[in-house]
Amino acid sequence: MGQIFLVVPDAPIENVAQLDANRQLGETGIRLGILDNTKGNADHLLNMIIEGVKKEFKVDSVVMTRKAASSRPATDAILDQLAKEADLVVSAMAD
Amino acid sequence: MSKLTTMLQTPGALIACDDDPEAVFELMCSKGWSDGLPVIPPTAERVERMLAYCDRDLDKPVLNIPPRFGAATPIRIAANAVMAGCKPEYFPLVLLALEALADEQYNLYGTQATTHPCTPMLIFNGPAAKEAGINAGQNAMGNYFRANAVIGRAVRLALVNIGAAIPGTGDMATTGTPAKFTFCVAENEEQSPWDPLHVELGFPRESSAVTVIAAESPHNVNDHESLNAEGILTMVAGTMTITGSNNPYYAGQPLLAFGPEHAATVANDGMSKADVRQWLFKHATLPLSRFSRETIERRFRRKLAAQYADAALDTPVRMCAKPEDLLIIVTGGAGKHSQYVPTFGNTRAATRVLKRADGTLAKSLHDFKRN
Repeated sequence: MGQIFLVVPDAPIENVAQLDANRQLGETGIRLGILDNTKGNADHLLNMIIEGVKKEFKVDSVVMTRKAASSRPATDAILDQLAKEADLVVSAMAD
Repeated sequence: MSKLTTMLQTPGALIACDDDPEAVFELMCSKGWSDGLPVIPPTAERVERMLAYCDRDLDKPVLNIPPRFGAATPIRIAANAVMAGCKPEYFPLVLLALEALADEQYNLYGTQATTHPCTPMLIFNGPAAKEAGINAGQNAMGNYFRANAVIGRAVRLALVNIGAAIPGTGDMATTGTPAKFTFCVAENEEQSPWDPLHVELGFPRESSAVTVIAAESPHNVNDHESLNAEGILTMVAGTMTITGSNNPYYAGQPLLAFGPEHAATVANDGMSKADVRQWLFKHATLPLSRFSRETIERRFRRKLAAQYADAALDTPVRMCAKPEDLLIIVTGGAGKHSQYVPTFGNTRAATRVLKRADGTLAKSLHDFKRN
């Protein structure tokens, strides 16, 4: 049987920021970022996660952010704030 | 060597497969590139024929499709259009629909990723729809007609393959909808008693346009008995007033697709589209008490507190925020049925007019043919 060549119909992921693997979580205090997607109970779930992280790690600060609506992306302002003020970010989907 | 062939020299642009229809289908399924139905093999020759009706730069993205934000170049879109079964002359309409979906107000990111069962409904107006053979008559929202089936399918395949709206990872729809295979219609302009949608939106009558909405499956309005506008609209209002739709909560734009006979009955009573909207805004309401106690407390009283914090249980809940938000078209053939199409909610319809790359209105699909 002969072979044919097909044009690949998908697209690669582009412009993905490389994660900085040099975090030293646990040795210094964590600046914890929280992104609430506004779904029902997301705030409760995130508060539980914050308390859980605080039990396991030294947390210096917690920055809370909230999207305008769950079905819209976070704004650049929110993402810039999290990039500036947090070492890691937890986002939650709940309902 | 053609320009396309040169572009396809990029590593990863092509994939080898046995020259056998079943092998192609197996490969497409194994890679997650099919919608579950067989596809036409997107060979370079077929993609090149598809691109004969594209006057854009072949490797310049028309949009980036979320959630992956993959670059939707004409080449990649054409591969999906070949797979869907498109004729080359359909390609300008596939591109046009994708351009409309890129409009920020449509909220492609949210509609691609949501748990809600929405999908782009493509509504074509103007001469290009007729030229392509998009059915606006009998069974307009159903099967059988190639242009409706494959133009909608090409858009869906592009959304999945380029945007990675893959069920369970990128597309989190709880149940989805059969309309995710394809949902493409034309307006039955000849049998509409009113201006067609694109004219109503301010575009020239002679132009061709697509309007995209983030649609649920259509809900039927069966009314064989009513003899006047009030009767027909009473039945429409009854179909619109459902507690499970997103539209009572969000500022979306649901669609009312009149069958021509219902439209004629309503128009013969002297009602314009604006009159229909006002009537339905007033009458298509549910008392707050029809929703569950938890929905009233958590959704209406908390999330929509400005409107419902202290509202009485007999407060009317409307199906859209203002009368103008209800979109109206006429489509389909003979018979006493119309369709109500709820939407995602946090989305607005987007309309694009068919233009050549130089910005001039296209008079025909053949305006796009490369020499």
